[in-house]
Amino acid sequence: MANVKRILFPLYQFGNPQLRIFRPTFNMTLVRPGKEQPPDTVQFRIPLEMTKFDVRNYMEKIYSVPVAAVRTRIQFGTNKKKNHLNQRVKRPDYKVAYVQLAQQQTFQFPDIFPEKEKQHEEGSAEEMQEKFMEDERQRQKPDPRRGGVNEWFGL
Amino acid sequence: MAAAVTCRLTTALCKQFQRVVTVSSSLTHPQYATRTLSKFHSCWQSPPVYSRALHTSCVRKGLEEFFDLPENWGESTVKSGAPWTAKQLRTKSNEDLHKLWYVLLKEKNMLLTIEQEAKRQRVQMPSPERIKKVERSMKRLDTIVNEREDFLRLLQTGQEKSRPGSWRKNVFGKTIWHKFREYPIPWHLNTRYKRKRFYEPLHVAPFTRLSLENYLKNKMRKTRRERGNQKKLAEMFPKKTAHA
Repeated sequence: MANVKRILFPLYQFGNPQLRIFRPTFNMTLVRPGKEQPPDTVQFRIPLEMTKFDVRNYMEKIYSVPVAAVRTRIQFGTNKKKNHLNQRVKRPDYKVAYVQLAQQQTFQFPDIFPEKEKQHEEGSAEEMQEKFMEDERQRQKPDPRRGGVNEWFGL
Repeated sequence: MAAAVTCRLTTALCKQFQRVVTVSSSLTHPQYATRTLSKFHSCWQSPPVYSRALHTSCVRKGLEEFFDLPENWGESTVKSGAPWTAKQLRTKSNEDLHKLWYVLLKEKNMLLTIEQEAKRQRVQMPSPERIKKVERSMKRLDTIVNEREDFLRLLQTGQEKSRPGSWRKNVFGKTIWHKFREYPIPWHLNTRYKRKRFYEPLHVAPFTRLSLENYLKNKMRKTRRERGNQKKLAEMFPKKTAHA
């Protein structure tokens, strides 16, 4: 449920003190860039209400990451796709922020889902299944003593 | 190292928050000692020290918080504790709740990052129920903070509601609680506000009467039905049989 309760910020007039938010509800999602970005650029998806100043303060205060520059753009979510009732379905719009890090730091988006060897625990159903499948595969293989020759030939 | 790992895993979602806070404050992170941080940040738990075979540019320690512990990369499930309940949160002080809010916020950011990357790589996200847990914890925290603010305001000023408002009749004849909005100009100069009518036009009065009649009719029907049921029950089970 996005933005269930509308957050009202106090009205700003010239001369008022800086607005301070004590418990921000903004979430920033780090995304892998679609296009190749320079090594010091990090790409985020942020809520539409956030500004460049908000992003800068967020990174510096909460994550203590020094920020040199922030650029933002709004990505329009498509309204073209149709569901099974032939109604247009809207994908939500979002804001993308390109944050350039200060102090010549670099960032490379890591591989979060590497292929891992799955080790099943002893005596579990999955282990027995794996063993069974392994046996079946062993049976299907031809006789190794024939040296790769097809069984159609000879004895 | 093990303490740091458990620190990260249990902070957001476990009951033993106090223990974790004391553990983290005992970890003296040398880098943070030299930085000129605000009071809030210096008593904040420093990110755990990891030893990883990854690239060691200094900023990774900040941006690493957007990702899970490297041991959990590629796992199909990640263990996580129960969300914070309102009862547990009520025992915490305001400073602790403030810190917990940021812990939960960072956790949520991390989970959203993983979710988006999983969608990108077309792989299932490990333990997606964690997001719901964090959301619920944050909502309960918010409830508790608002509760405390309400009580303070009641004690200090006697005002029940934080946002001013009043009972007004809208165009449809219904009496509603109109919440006030902040404007930079007074109401008699605000043309958009004056277009909003807080009185019932004359032609709407019959409909208000009808809806009132409907409401009273339904109420009477309900009471009569209830009375009829009680009478039937009294007939079925007269008082004499109870004593026998």
